[in-house]
Amino acid sequence: MTTTTSFNYSHTIGFLANQGRGFNNPVDVALDSQGVLYVLNRAGPEVAIRLPYKRVVTCTVDEEYLGEFGTGGTGDGEFWWPSSVAFDSEDRLYVADEALQRVSIFSKSGELLGQWGEHGSRDGQIDRPSAMVIDSEDNLYLSDSLNNRVQKFTKDGQFLGKWGEEGAGPGQFNMPWGIALDSDGDVYVSDWRNDRVQKFDPSGRYLDQWGSSGDAEGQFNRPSGIAVDPDGNIYVCDWGNERVQVLSTSGQVLDSFRGDSVTSTWTTAYFEANPDEGAARLAADLEPQVSPRSDIQRETSANVEKLLWGPTSVKLDDQGRVYIVDSLRHRLQIYQRGS
Amino acid sequence: MMDDQWALTTHLLRRAGFGATPQELDEYLELGYDATVEKLLHPSQDLPVDEDVVRRYHIDQNSLMLIESSQAYWLYRMINTTSPLQEKIALFWHGLFATAYGKLNHAKGVVNQTNIFRRSGLGYFRTLLLEVARDPAMIFWLDNKDNHKDAPNENFGRELLELFSMGIGNYTEEDVKSCARAFTGWTIANADYMSIRASRDSIWPHGRLDWQFLYDPEDHDETDKTFLGHTGRFNGEDVIDIICAQPACAWFVASKLYNFFVSDTPDEGAIQTLADEFQRSNGNIESVMRTMFLSGFFQSEKVRFARVKSPAEMVAGTARLAGSHRSTDWSIVGLAMDANFMGQEILNPPSVEGWHTGIEWIDTGSLVERINSAAQEVGNPGHPGIKEIIRRIREGQDVLSPQEFVDRCLDLAGGVKVGEATGQHLTGYAAAQGDLRFDRDELVACSEERIANMLQLIVATREYQLA
Repeated sequence: MTTTTSFNYSHTIGFLANQGRGFNNPVDVALDSQGVLYVLNRAGPEVAIRLPYKRVVTCTVDEEYLGEFGTGGTGDGEFWWPSSVAFDSEDRLYVADEALQRVSIFSKSGELLGQWGEHGSRDGQIDRPSAMVIDSEDNLYLSDSLNNRVQKFTKDGQFLGKWGEEGAGPGQFNMPWGIALDSDGDVYVSDWRNDRVQKFDPSGRYLDQWGSSGDAEGQFNRPSGIAVDPDGNIYVCDWGNERVQVLSTSGQVLDSFRGDSVTSTWTTAYFEANPDEGAARLAADLEPQVSPRSDIQRETSANVEKLLWGPTSVKLDDQGRVYIVDSLRHRLQIYQRGS
Repeated sequence: MMDDQWALTTHLLRRAGFGATPQELDEYLELGYDATVEKLLHPSQDLPVDEDVVRRYHIDQNSLMLIESSQAYWLYRMINTTSPLQEKIALFWHGLFATAYGKLNHAKGVVNQTNIFRRSGLGYFRTLLLEVARDPAMIFWLDNKDNHKDAPNENFGRELLELFSMGIGNYTEEDVKSCARAFTGWTIANADYMSIRASRDSIWPHGRLDWQFLYDPEDHDETDKTFLGHTGRFNGEDVIDIICAQPACAWFVASKLYNFFVSDTPDEGAIQTLADEFQRSNGNIESVMRTMFLSGFFQSEKVRFARVKSPAEMVAGTARLAGSHRSTDWSIVGLAMDANFMGQEILNPPSVEGWHTGIEWIDTGSLVERINSAAQEVGNPGHPGIKEIIRRIREGQDVLSPQEFVDRCLDLAGGVKVGEATGQHLTGYAAAQGDLRFDRDELVACSEERIANMLQLIVATREYQLA
C-alpha cells in the first residue's frame, strides 16, 4: 500500500527544571478537552530533597507555561514512580503510579478527587501499572507490567476484565508497557520485552502483531509508548532504538523519527540570560561524530542533544500533531502530520 | 564447620568479589579452586544485570545524570553480577585513578570511566593507562584540556607518575615536565562549552552531554623531550610505553593490588612475586591476579579476615547475602546513601588520592552506620537470601543446639570466622532461648525470626567488618 502520510518536525517544548516552568524526566503527557498539555514528571532518584521534582506541569502547545501540581511522596495524591496520565470524558485526570500501585484522579486544577488500586496479582490487583488509556465509555485499560497482562476497570476502579500471561506467544506478554486504542476501540499493547506490538479486540481477543527484535526498519528494541491515529496508523516509541516508528495497519513503516530538536522558547530564554554559555554553545559542534563501543543508539543520544533519548510516550491530537515525550532530555518533541 | 576448601573458597570470593551466597559457593566448590580462579579471571560477556529493566523503572539510572542514581546503578551491578571480579577490579582501579563527580558535575562521565575498568581492568596495564589518558572524565578531572603546547599544565602528567604508575622518588621534576608536554593536545571536544556547563551543577537545559576525546595535533608539542633517560619527540603513547617498562611501575601496581586484594599490611616478598609476574607478562593484570590467587601468601590463614571491608564491599556483600536488591526497587538508592554515610561515596572519591583504606574506614560514626545498614538488610526473613539460609538450616536437622545454631549461621553468612569472645556472646544469646527447633509447626515462625536475629548480630560483630 502506498501512502501520502508525511511528517515534519514542528517544535520542542521543555527545559530541565526541578520546579516551575520546565520538566524533569517527563514520562507521559495527556491533553485535556481544550488541548492543554499535562506533562507527568517522574524525576528521581527517590531521595527526600528530590521528591518535589515529581509533579504534573501544565502548558500549552505554544509553550505557554500554565502551572504545576503534585509532589513526590507516598501520601494521598502524591507520586513515587508515576508512569502514565489520561483524561476521561469529563476532563478528570488519571495518574498511574508503578510504586504506589494505584491510580489517582485529579481535577484539572490538581485537586485530588479519588484514588484506587491494590498491589497484587489477583483479579483487579496491579503490579507496576505502566500505562493506561480510557475508552469512549470512560472505562480504563491498564498495562499491568509485572503481572504480564492488560486489565480493564471502570473509572472508579471496579474490575471488568483481564487478558494475558507471561510468555512470547500470541496474547502473551513480557512486561508490557504502552497501551492505546484505535477508533474502533481495539487495543494496542507494546509488548516491551518481546519487542513487538500486539493488537486485541476490546474483549482481549488477539488480532494481530507487528515487529521483532532488532534495529532494522519495522523491528523494535523494547517498545514503550504507543498511539493510533484515526486512519489506523500506529506510532510506536522504539525506546531502546531511541526512535519513534510510524506503521501502517499492514505493518509498513511510514516514517521514523530519531529526533530533530532545536531549542525551545524556554531554553532560548535561558541562553539569553546566560550569554557566555550561549556564545560557547554557538561555537560548539553539537552534532559530533561518535563511535560508541556498545549500546550504540543510546550512547549516541547521550552525545547528540537534538536526538531522542529514552522516548517513553507518544500522543496525538486532532490537529495532526505527534507529541513525543523525550524523557531523558526533559522535553516534548512535536511533529506535524501533513497529507 | 565446613572444610578447608570451603573456607578457602569463601576467602577468594570475599576478595575477588563481594562474598558468595550459599548457592554460589556450591557451584564454585563443584568447580574447584583453580577453575574458580579462571572463571573469575574471564568475565562473562552477558550483562550482569537486566539493564533494560533497571533503566525502565529507574528513569534516573537511564541518563545517569545525578550522582546518587549512578551510585545506585553501580551497586546493582556489584550485587547482581555473575562476574564479581570484573566489578571488584573496577572498584580497585576506580580507587587508584580516583576521579570524582564533584568537579565534573557529570556522573555518567565517571560511569563511562568505570566501563574502561570493566573492559580493560584485567588486560594489559599499558592499554589501561592509554584508555585512562584518553578518557574525557580524566582529562577534565586533571585539567589536561588546559595542557597546551605553549602553556603546559602538569596536573595529569604529575599524577600519572606519582599516583597512577610509579610513585614519588622514581622520577625527577624534569620528567614531570616532559610527561606533561607529551600529553599536550590530548583534550575533549567542545572544551570551552563543556567547561562552562560543568561549572554549573544545577542548570543544564536538556541534561548532560557526554564528552569525547579529541587529539589536537596543532596543540601538541612535537619537540624533543627527555623522559626517564630516553630522548625523542615523544607523544603520550611513547611516555606510557616507557613508564610500563620501569621496574618501579611493576612494583607500584603490584603493591596496590596486594594492598587491595591481599592485606592491609605490606609483605615485600609477596609484592616482589607479583611485580616479577607483571614484568614477565609485560604488565598483564590477569596474569598478575592469577599468580596472586594461586599463591601461598594469598591463601595463607594469616591474611584471611585481615582486611577491613570498604563500605562498598560492606553494602554490596550484605545485600548479596540477604538476596535483596535482586530486582528493581527504589530502595537501592538508600543503600548507596548508606555507603556514603559509611565514608565511601563511590564515583565521588575525596581526592585524586582516592580513599584512605584499612582501619581508617572505621570510626564510631561509620561503625554505627555499618551495623545499622547491614542489620536492616539481613533482618528481614522475607528476603530471598535469608529464606535460603533458613531453608538450609532446616534441611540439615530439626533441632539445633545453641552452638550448632550459631555455627550454621556463621557458615551460611559466608564463612564468618569469629574470635572466642564473640563466639561466646553469640552462643550465650542463642542459649537464652534454648535449642532452635523446627520439629513443631508452631515453633517454625519463631525459629525463622531467631535466625534473622542471629544474622543481625553476626553482621554487627567486629569480625564481619573484615574480609
